[in-house]
Amino acid sequence: MSTTEKQTRSWKAERVLDGMGKKLSRQITGSLVACVHCGMCTESCHYVLANPGDPTYAPAYKADKIRRLFKRHHDWTGKVFPWWVKAGSVYTDEELEELKDIVFGRCTNCRRCTFSCPMGVDLATFNRMARGLLVSVGIMPEGVAVVSKDQWETGNQMGVLKEDYLETLEWMEEELQDELDDPTVSIPVDQPDCDVVYSINPREVKYDPRTISDAAKIFHVAREKWTMASEGWDMTNFGLFSGDDALGGSVASRLYEKVNELRGKTLVISECGHGFRSTRCEGPNWAKFDVPFVMESSIFTMLRYIKEGRIKVDKSKNPKPVTYHDSCNFARSCGITEEPRELLHLVCEDVREMYPNRAENYCCTGGGGAMSMSEYTRERLKSGVVKANQLEATGAEVVVTSCHNCVDGLTDVIRHYKLGMEVTQLVNLVANALVIEGKPAHAVVPGLEVEAGSNAQA
Amino acid sequence: MNELSAQLHFAEHRLQEVALAFMALVYLTRVLWFLRHKAGGERQPTTARDPKARRRGILYSWATVAMPWAMESTRRMPFFYVQFVLFHLGVTAAITLSFLIPYGPGVLESSALVLVFQVLIWAAFAVGVLRLARRIRNPYIRAISSPDDFFAVFLLTVWFFFAALSVPNDVSGGEGILLTYFWLTAFFLVYVPFSKISHYLYYPFTRYYLGKSLGYRGVYPVYRVQGS
Repeated sequence: MSTTEKQTRSWKAERVLDGMGKKLSRQITGSLVACVHCGMCTESCHYVLANPGDPTYAPAYKADKIRRLFKRHHDWTGKVFPWWVKAGSVYTDEELEELKDIVFGRCTNCRRCTFSCPMGVDLATFNRMARGLLVSVGIMPEGVAVVSKDQWETGNQMGVLKEDYLETLEWMEEELQDELDDPTVSIPVDQPDCDVVYSINPREVKYDPRTISDAAKIFHVAREKWTMASEGWDMTNFGLFSGDDALGGSVASRLYEKVNELRGKTLVISECGHGFRSTRCEGPNWAKFDVPFVMESSIFTMLRYIKEGRIKVDKSKNPKPVTYHDSCNFARSCGITEEPRELLHLVCEDVREMYPNRAENYCCTGGGGAMSMSEYTRERLKSGVVKANQLEATGAEVVVTSCHNCVDGLTDVIRHYKLGMEVTQLVNLVANALVIEGKPAHAVVPGLEVEAGSNAQA
Repeated sequence: MNELSAQLHFAEHRLQEVALAFMALVYLTRVLWFLRHKAGGERQPTTARDPKARRRGILYSWATVAMPWAMESTRRMPFFYVQFVLFHLGVTAAITLSFLIPYGPGVLESSALVLVFQVLIWAAFAVGVLRLARRIRNPYIRAISSPDDFFAVFLLTVWFFFAALSVPNDVSGGEGILLTYFWLTAFFLVYVPFSKISHYLYYPFTRYYLGKSLGYRGVYPVYRVQGS
């Protein structure tokens, strides 16, 4: 690169290019050099399907906006003959803004295209890298900046104050005591030496506290020795969406340190795709922390309770036809597709599969933090037609998902396309199906072998 | 068999040897460059049920190329997958031919084998023409194509043409076809490391790391149910 070229580049552009060199792992480099532009990924993307005839939404096209920088600065042909391989650089902040609109606004990092790529190019991974590089110079959607700031400052991504959080827990405790007519029911906080430390999404505190009381009900009936934490309770992690590994590591550490402090045996993560992925899979790597306790999704906890006979459920209490939406982070990044279905079949009478499903399911449109980026809402909802068609074809009245982002994404799509469906989570259905007796039974359900926490850490 | 001219002998032997040595050297450099990057790792315990999931994931990832049912894209475009198979069989045949003619010409005395080579290479030629047309006509593919993409398909298609004509290894009608084929092969060997055709060098690595990660996380092998 000539000195003149460097001098004409903005400080931010220079910083982004420098940062890229440091972020290039073998996985990312492989994905950047291996694309043959075969176009096999094109129709895997819900943005493409919702915008027929517009090639600028194609995964390979979007990937090339990042790849051109790599080629120009790190690949030999691109360095010498940039025009021959469409290599290019960035010089101005305006160009970085354009890149921002692509990496944040036109891709939800759902990873679906990776599963259609014969070369194994993982766009979601280097798209996240590009997001992180832009974030490092302050170029990001307003919502990403706000949420990241909240998570840095308050330890949770919705800026929920400690007193509001504790008040909500008390309120839910009282509601539960009334519902069960049992004044001994509690939502314990900061109890040491518990078997379960339960972590949640701040959305539950702010918009959906019923999921907290439903989980508490299940723990109570299962006679679990559990607690919630007064700090470090947010299992979500905006570092996954913003590409900011430092934020990711900080948020994950806060959670791990609190569980350690409480000497908890298992960290149970409430239903949230990105929260689970961040806490269970990415967090230890970002935080460079070897987690000494078990971490599992609440899906596995609830399933285990049923299999161990610690809770009894009656599926006739959930008679409406339901369908299950696989969260991208669960299905394509953590391999969790069967356990939610197993649980669903135990607590619902009429379960209908949507197609495609599991690792091939389409994004809810809210992935990659898209729900926080209001400037891209129009495009996001337009791309939701794919999901809407999928949902409608099931004939179900209720969509079940194990992800708070998906709850919001699906709710938006259902409202926009006037589908008239409800969205709920497994915890709500399990709590509703609970058979509450004077004393919980402990008989093992015949035919259901206990396979506790196959995704657990032990 | 007629005597070879000095020109053709040079094109078949020394030229190929130099080109191959150059390609090998550049490839080695390239692999070392790739391996200089950090490999990354995962501290967290596996989310897979199978303790050997990482290895299974890698094997599955590598085998994907031979499992058209494994990817939605190849299920959706079976004809494209058939083209892919034919094209790459043609490449294999045309490369093999460049060794057989100088080092094992006796093998090509079998008319059946000549026919097999010709069928494979002509089929690959036809696919090359289709691929070139697709790259020009399909707006999605055109939008992502670089000059290198067009040239790579064009080069291979022309190379197939001369390879197919060279299969009988007969110079009785002149050496022009064979000379062109061997000069094209040499150019191909020298050009490949700098072009997208080098994707096969990266393929094992890219799919290895993807398979390792997705296997460890219990995603690979992908589990599908009927109808999905």
